[in-house]
Amino acid sequence: MNEAQRQRDLLAALATGAPSIATLRESGERAARGLEAYRANAEAIADRALASTFVTVQAMVGDEDFKHLAREFWRAHPPEHGDLGEWGDAFPSWLAVHAGLTAWPWLADSARVDLALHRNERAGDASLDTDSLHLLESTDPAQLRLLLMPGTAVLRSPWPIAAIHSAHQLAGEAAERAFAGVRESLAAQRGEQVLVARQGWRAVVHPLEAPTAAWTQDLLDEVDLATALTRAGESFDFAAWLGIALRESWLKGVAASND
Amino acid sequence: MGAGVAADNGVGIDLRQPPAQVGIGLRQPHYAALFETAPALGFVEVHSENFFADGGAALAVLRQARERYPVSLHGVGLALGSAAGLDPWHLDRLARLVQRIEPVRVSDHACFARAAFAPGAPVVHANDLLPIAFSDASLSIMASSVMQAQERIGRPMLVENLSSYVSFADESMSEPEFFAALCRRTGCGMLLDVNNIMVNALNARVADPLAACCAFVDALPLGIVGEIHLAGYCETGGETDGIVIDDHGSRVRPAVWAVYEHALRRFGAVPTLVEWDTDLPAFDLLLGEASHAAGLAARVAA
Repeated sequence: MNEAQRQRDLLAALATGAPSIATLRESGERAARGLEAYRANAEAIADRALASTFVTVQAMVGDEDFKHLAREFWRAHPPEHGDLGEWGDAFPSWLAVHAGLTAWPWLADSARVDLALHRNERAGDASLDTDSLHLLESTDPAQLRLLLMPGTAVLRSPWPIAAIHSAHQLAGEAAERAFAGVRESLAAQRGEQVLVARQGWRAVVHPLEAPTAAWTQDLLDEVDLATALTRAGESFDFAAWLGIALRESWLKGVAASND
Repeated sequence: MGAGVAADNGVGIDLRQPPAQVGIGLRQPHYAALFETAPALGFVEVHSENFFADGGAALAVLRQARERYPVSLHGVGLALGSAAGLDPWHLDRLARLVQRIEPVRVSDHACFARAAFAPGAPVVHANDLLPIAFSDASLSIMASSVMQAQERIGRPMLVENLSSYVSFADESMSEPEFFAALCRRTGCGMLLDVNNIMVNALNARVADPLAACCAFVDALPLGIVGEIHLAGYCETGGETDGIVIDDHGSRVRPAVWAVYEHALRRFGAVPTLVEWDTDLPAFDLLLGEASHAAGLAARVAA
């Protein structure tokens, strides 16, 4: 038999739940049990892989519903690579249009925060290029770009994504108070912006004011420093932001535009 | 095949490294215990794909482990038997990891995972170790992919026999014949998982599983086995319709130890790994299994 055909048949049998395929040595109940062992393993792997990335989403929908979502998502968007750490980019957008989740419109943006955290923790390691900071004194800002650490991301949402994430980090009475605040913010449709950056080895969420989020996004988009400052407006305190960026290790360095 | 891969034994790798080096599969819950207790181990083995990221904590831990132990990179996703061929992205990541870690061995499985649901459809990755048929066509696919992988990583690799829950009726050779031919053609070695042989024998309901496993070992040519895997399995379902699952979630079964001893007598002191991936035990229990393996190796060598 053609091996490509054989492999397609087996993959399809596992995905669709078909009871058997033509060239199996096993038959009947024994074949069904064998195929089911593979299906169960695939489902468990899909669940574990997505759950390790989308921690907040799993906490919101519950373990059982998350398992169902993981199975559905596997069928809709099966992995392309053998590293499941790379799988799941499409999950937030898939959640956004899932017919069964329309009552939780913030779920997709919370998934985007989870994904940004996951991506950040897999990003390349880097440290501040302190020498490059001298460029801030010696070079025209129009010729400079501020470089943020690998994996840094800014997310903006019409939902309280920072509060939702934060509440899921808490326990006990603190969590109850935080979730009460989340419910208020959801009712008021209070949008939030966050920065995802690494702190030590862990990626963390920093709530941002809208102007700072726009400024940070400009930096991620490699807008030159002069233009970014102009867009941020006179009320933006660059020196204060720089102090925080250095303290929190957000900044990787400064680059001249011709670098 | 790059220069220096071929060697006198015909499989391109120093497969006999007396005394036996016994290692453990290193999993995240045991990281702290490993570094705190620093046990005497021949090597630690990790799943390559868990360290494919550009950076981050996992890679830092692996680098720390590498400072203290030889590291064996054991892949579960290269899918060497896929008729769709290898994923260049995967191969690039593996090659980068090999360069970063300088492992003592690199291995993966004789399985497929990359396939399309229909002719012309996009190739997906099943993220499982799906069985291949032991046929001439499969052998050609495997040999081509193994040579491509070895060329890319610049060294010979080991290929592991699977536990499988279904098999194919139209095979043209036995599994030992398949591995012998694969090693001969490509210069790779074999990673012999004795637990997998037992799982397959039990699932095939052979009259004497231990004898069948020893016959499997005896059918392999001398000099191709570069590592042995030991693990636990579990039984599911009833006596007549149940199957045995290679879940790596318990101690090595007595019959598997017996096959291991038989393999040591045949192949000599081969590096051996105790795998434990689900329901992870206390670190001491895992080390106890490794010590038992080392004791058997010493006894056979004496």
